[in-house]
Amino acid sequence: MDRSLKVRLAARLADHLAGPIRQRHDQTEIRIRPADMLEVMRTLHDDPDFDFTILADLAGVDTGTTMQVVYHLWSAKTPDWLRVIAEGLPREDPRIPSLTGLWPGAEWMERETYDMFGIIFEGNRDLRRIYMPPDYASFPLRKDFYLPDDSARSPGAGARHVEQPNAPVVTSKRAPRRTVRA
Amino acid sequence: MTAPTGLGHHASQDDPRIMLDGQIGQYEQVPPYPTRTEREAEFYSLRDGEMFLNMGPQHPSTHGVLRVVLKINGENVVDLDPVLGYLHRGVEKLCENSDYHHVISQIDPLEYVSSLFMEWAPVMSFEQLLDVKVPRRAEYIRVLTGELLRIASHVLFQGWMALDLGGLAPILYSFIERDEIVEMLAALTGQRMLFNYFRIGGVNGDLNHEFMSRLGDWMSRALVQHEANIGLLNENEIFVRRMRDIGRLDGETAKRMGVSGPNIRAAGVPFDVRRAHPYSVYPELEFDIPVRGTGPAGGDSLDRYLLRLDEVRESIRIIDQCLHNMPDGPVMARLPRLMRPRPGRAWAAVESPRGLFGTYVISDGTDQPFRMKIHDPSFVHLQLVGMLMKNNLIADTMAVMASLDPVMGGIDK
Repeated sequence: MDRSLKVRLAARLADHLAGPIRQRHDQTEIRIRPADMLEVMRTLHDDPDFDFTILADLAGVDTGTTMQVVYHLWSAKTPDWLRVIAEGLPREDPRIPSLTGLWPGAEWMERETYDMFGIIFEGNRDLRRIYMPPDYASFPLRKDFYLPDDSARSPGAGARHVEQPNAPVVTSKRAPRRTVRA
Repeated sequence: MTAPTGLGHHASQDDPRIMLDGQIGQYEQVPPYPTRTEREAEFYSLRDGEMFLNMGPQHPSTHGVLRVVLKINGENVVDLDPVLGYLHRGVEKLCENSDYHHVISQIDPLEYVSSLFMEWAPVMSFEQLLDVKVPRRAEYIRVLTGELLRIASHVLFQGWMALDLGGLAPILYSFIERDEIVEMLAALTGQRMLFNYFRIGGVNGDLNHEFMSRLGDWMSRALVQHEANIGLLNENEIFVRRMRDIGRLDGETAKRMGVSGPNIRAAGVPFDVRRAHPYSVYPELEFDIPVRGTGPAGGDSLDRYLLRLDEVRESIRIIDQCLHNMPDGPVMARLPRLMRPRPGRAWAAVESPRGLFGTYVISDGTDQPFRMKIHDPSFVHLQLVGMLMKNNLIADTMAVMASLDPVMGGIDK
């Protein structure tokens, strides 16, 4: 845990934080709103105090109620990994700016997240499916996509899942049964 | 309607989103084909003299099932578009439906060339969720076996690299080395490729006699054998000429492209997770991070090839220290069979032979991870091919790709 990083983040990003800064093991975690993402990332990348030059990971998360995009960053200035959680994307129409302006290498990571979750990264110039075929319409890592051969506890046990038309179009009244406060 | 599966009534039958067997095929609407992206429109329009050439997915030298659409002008590659997904198994989804122990074997076949590293990252992140302290002997065994496998992977890379450039002999020598290491690990773990050896809180079994005697045997000649293997190719003029100045990558671009592992170090950036963000017992061990291509132009394919050979030497150094410093004690922490970590999030990354391999795990308090994101370095590196290949010859496509050392199992997840 790097206490000084917490202090620096709190001072520099006070206006953008959507929740408390958490630290556990070797990770520091901040929460931001999707609209602030680009500004926060630019600060973290360009500010010589932070100097987060390496984007270690970009992950989509479906908590069952909302969507998140989670970034992991590395900097030589701190012994911690920095986790940036852009939270509160609506499941019906999840949208967030693209990070490809800062890290062009995020292009495929965003394509993968789009493919699996249907999150639209505005500004990514190649946002098409990367693993699934182009005429595929479901988003497999969403929590309302059940596996046909789940273990018995799963609500999908014994039934075949159906590949739905675009999940944002068909909105179900019932939330997925497995949700988390992440 | 009754479920044809004979399982009786189930809540899912009321769920409009789940279609039972009798209903299959009753789609309400055919989903529209997604609109073309900017990049797609640019790539799939031809100018004078250009044509498309399809390579793969069954091409023997694409390192797995990868399809590449090349846009060529004569012998020159103008642009290319990799098409993925032929090996996609949805490992992340499978992990979300497996319990924590089961995840280790699910994730194992991701990168079949260096599968211990695929176990290492999730095991480390689960240990963070559970607040487990791993015994020191187990950490040393992890480093020892991991570095052995790093050598096996780099040695195999050397052979594949030559094979992609048309040299048949080196792969045979590579497999002699790799086979010895793999057999050694098989004596320890019981498996030749997908070891399933690391456990949450330690490793599956202690070092045994057969492993140690094979290892001692191999260590006595490892460096000499390595020098001999280097001599096979490094002075081969055709090989060197075909690698030099092909696919140059500079440090700044490498950072922006999210590159890691030997590829970023061959571009002049000394980023190695073992030193940049130390884990396990690496802080106690003495080894150097080889760096090449430090000039402003960065490193070429030859630098990437040579850097991996340098790393083999460092790995042998690490193994030597592990054997000398190996502490006594248990190899597993005391843990319950069924793991239910408290809700929380954890991220752990290791330096695999290809680069930064990390997993991000969210626990919701049950015995299965709620979300498991896998970050594979090959996936990011394959993006570079399109950038490095522009205005090179078709025959060099595979040379550049091989120098990045991607493994399709990891790319397609």
